[in-house]
Amino acid sequence: MGTAIQIQNVNFAYGAKQVLHDVTLDIPDRQVTAFIGPSGCGKSTLIRCINRINDRIPDARVTSGSIHIHGIDIHRPDLNLQELRRRVGMVFQKYNPFAKSIYDNVVYGLRIAGVTKRSELDEAAEKALTNAALWNEVKDRLRSSATGLSGGQQQRLCIARVIATEPDIVLMDEPCAALDPLATLKIEELITELKKKFTIVIVTHNMSQATRCSDRTAFMYLGKLIEYGDTLQIFENPKNPQTEAYITGAFG
Amino acid sequence: MNQPHIFHEIDNAMRSLKDAVILMAGLTRQNLERAIQALLTRDIDLARMVIGDDSDVDDLEVRIDQIGMDILIRFHPVASDLRLVITSMKMAHNLERISDHAVNIAKRAKKICKSNETVEAAIIEPLYSMAENLLRDALLSYTDTNTELGESLKPSDRALDAAHKQVISLLSGRIETSGSRTENLLHLIFIARSLERIGDLAVNIGEDAVFLGEARNIRHDHKKDKAPDAEQP
Repeated sequence: MGTAIQIQNVNFAYGAKQVLHDVTLDIPDRQVTAFIGPSGCGKSTLIRCINRINDRIPDARVTSGSIHIHGIDIHRPDLNLQELRRRVGMVFQKYNPFAKSIYDNVVYGLRIAGVTKRSELDEAAEKALTNAALWNEVKDRLRSSATGLSGGQQQRLCIARVIATEPDIVLMDEPCAALDPLATLKIEELITELKKKFTIVIVTHNMSQATRCSDRTAFMYLGKLIEYGDTLQIFENPKNPQTEAYITGAFG
Repeated sequence: MNQPHIFHEIDNAMRSLKDAVILMAGLTRQNLERAIQALLTRDIDLARMVIGDDSDVDDLEVRIDQIGMDILIRFHPVASDLRLVITSMKMAHNLERISDHAVNIAKRAKKICKSNETVEAAIIEPLYSMAENLLRDALLSYTDTNTELGESLKPSDRALDAAHKQVISLLSGRIETSGSRTENLLHLIFIARSLERIGDLAVNIGEDAVFLGEARNIRHDHKKDKAPDAEQP
């Protein structure tokens, strides 16, 4: 199993406030890596560094350290940001389909990338919706508004939209936070399927979710990576007392 | 487990747990059968095989515990899933003890084989048949989640207990006049004792199968039946 993302000694600050401290870890290719930790520990900030979405925030920056994706430094000056974000897709906590049809949502990224041929778009839409386990539910109403879908379906549509552009990596920031338990299980089942094709990085507050669907788990606290290892090891026998305290609910 | 889970990994994990228990049950039964065969046919090599193969059963017990713990950690099972994990881990413990009894039988069979033929060895065979039938039914009650079968084992166990008492009485009687055969007769008494204990462990498995299927705890029910009536005013 190779390394998809190499994070080395990353420090990150919002203006004068440093929120990540010397974070170093390798995220394996085609596995699910979960980030857990209390609110404000820096886990969302860290995954937002991976597709440089934090660049949109004034004064927010990686102050030192490096992030490589499949060996490519994502901070090198000649990097094409649009290409980076095509290769590193992102799914957010609140599902956010555009106020367009289901079909137009799925092919949105491809159109931005310049794909115009109808047959190509149709094929990509079917493939993405199938991979997002949504095709059978929507194939007869592709022209209907995406906002008419249930919450769980909208989130799977957002996942389809991301994977339609065939990224290498899919970042998920609490993808099930707004979903009911059964919709959550469907997304988790989808995640375990998607890891055959994509590297998945997920931020979650739900430790059960981390145990169910991740291969590796990273525990962060106060902007530091406290422990990182195989999920079963982290939850069965954590090496760091802070991890033990957090996962057993004896924290703070 | 009839209805697949939305999250298929749970089905896969449960299947691997149950498969490991079924494999362990098969090995345990085979060890017991071989131990008795070694005794009845005076086959020292077969007895040695039983003693050697016990480590496979031990390894499976550890593996089942690990799979069970992994499932508890990963999937936080509830209801029938939780009962399957708990029951399977208890099954593994009971099977390991049964295989240990098979090893005890094999070790004593080996000693008996090294001395002159002891005709009383044949007395053990009916006890073995009863214990084996109990074990077979207990395992079926788990694999098929057949609670009726699981609950029906106690009368058969009582019959085994009675047969065991008769065998002990018979062997004890012969010890008084056995001379040089005393040691072998004592070995047979301990073998009979192992078979009686295997019957008890099979009943435990049947009780666990009832818990698995119906979430009903029937352990120690016989004691409750015998409990003295509440004091009358």
